[in-house]
Amino acid sequence: MSGHDFHPLVKQLLDGDITLADLPAELRAEGENALRLLAAVDRTDVSVPAVTWRVMAALERRRRRVLPWLLAPALAVAAALILWILPAKPATPAALVTVRFVLVAPEAREVSLAGTFNQWDAHATPLVRTGPTGVWTATLTLPAGQHQYAFVVDGVRWVPDPGAPAVDDGFGRRNSVLTL
Amino acid sequence: MIIALVTLPLSLLGMQQQGGAGIAARLAGRVSPEVAALVVELGTAASARGLPVDPLIQKAIEGGAKGVPSERVATAVRLVVLELDTAAAALRQGGVVSDTLLIAAGEFAITAGLRGNDITALARTGASAAALTVGLRVAGTLSAMGVPPAETIGLISIKLRSGEPAGDLLLVPAQVQTEVAHGVTPAQAAAGLERAAAAQARRGPPPGRGTPPPHPPAPPHP
Repeated sequence: MSGHDFHPLVKQLLDGDITLADLPAELRAEGENALRLLAAVDRTDVSVPAVTWRVMAALERRRRRVLPWLLAPALAVAAALILWILPAKPATPAALVTVRFVLVAPEAREVSLAGTFNQWDAHATPLVRTGPTGVWTATLTLPAGQHQYAFVVDGVRWVPDPGAPAVDDGFGRRNSVLTL
Repeated sequence: MIIALVTLPLSLLGMQQQGGAGIAARLAGRVSPEVAALVVELGTAASARGLPVDPLIQKAIEGGAKGVPSERVATAVRLVVLELDTAAAALRQGGVVSDTLLIAAGEFAITAGLRGNDITALARTGASAAALTVGLRVAGTLSAMGVPPAETIGLISIKLRSGEPAGDLLLVPAQVQTEVAHGVTPAQAAAGLERAAAAQARRGPPPGRGTPPPHPPAPPHP
């Protein structure tokens, strides 16, 4: 996945909407590569010590969508994946939704997540690099509702998630929107 | 989850009305004194008009975190106030007695590209305040995904009028995304979903959902 975005049907494969067998023959190699990347991410334990308010209730893991995307030429390759893991039984009356944010940014030295859920603190929620492929991940448990966020690359670059809808932030940039 | 979507802002987003001291405390150390003073002033006035204050605070904090110059943060905060006023007026025009949650949802929809008359159209569906709040946020999300306003309002209106559960409304962006992945435009995807929703409405509600309450017909989308 260097230098180009995944085909829309491969994104559907990663979302779990179709299987590898549903892909046209010419896309199967790309699909297999994408699944290997996803498997590597899923095998990696992710800890987010900065998120002390994280609530880990008994979870029924459910993959909702996985979206790898081209991010920006300056990063060579970047992609974002989000896995939504919905709690089978909410631990509190206010439903919590566990979300995994994944960014493929091979050239990045550090990546963090800032948004309405952490007062836009660029240091509060670091992503963890998982292996040599440049995949950065963070798993958060967020209250159901609507959140705006962006990735912060190397502490200076505010980058919207290309896999999510985005709105004008009023400062000449874009904020990604996550509705849970 | 739906309850949380509606009630979340009370705690997480802080839609409760706040005094100037509360606003200043939230901004302390995060923005310049000039911006803090402006947000206190604008927030106090907005609160007196029944508008939510938290969107102003959040925008100021966001600007501070992003290192945006104070003048530009001030401009962005003023724009948020303008959008809140627009949303509140649009809801009133739609016959809805709006609360801060609804107004904040309307402000998001405007930020995402919808206009006051779009919000009025959704308000006139006769949906409950809770459903309308979700509908406005989903409409804003669709707009952010590139669905034109006409198709966005058409789709969300028919779903609100048919009494679609809020949980199903939340799935609409993913449904549009799925269709787009198959090669159609966002507008075509939304139009197709609207036709399907209309057909479903003609057949009646699915088993177990009951009959939705009657609603006045929605005005044509401008």
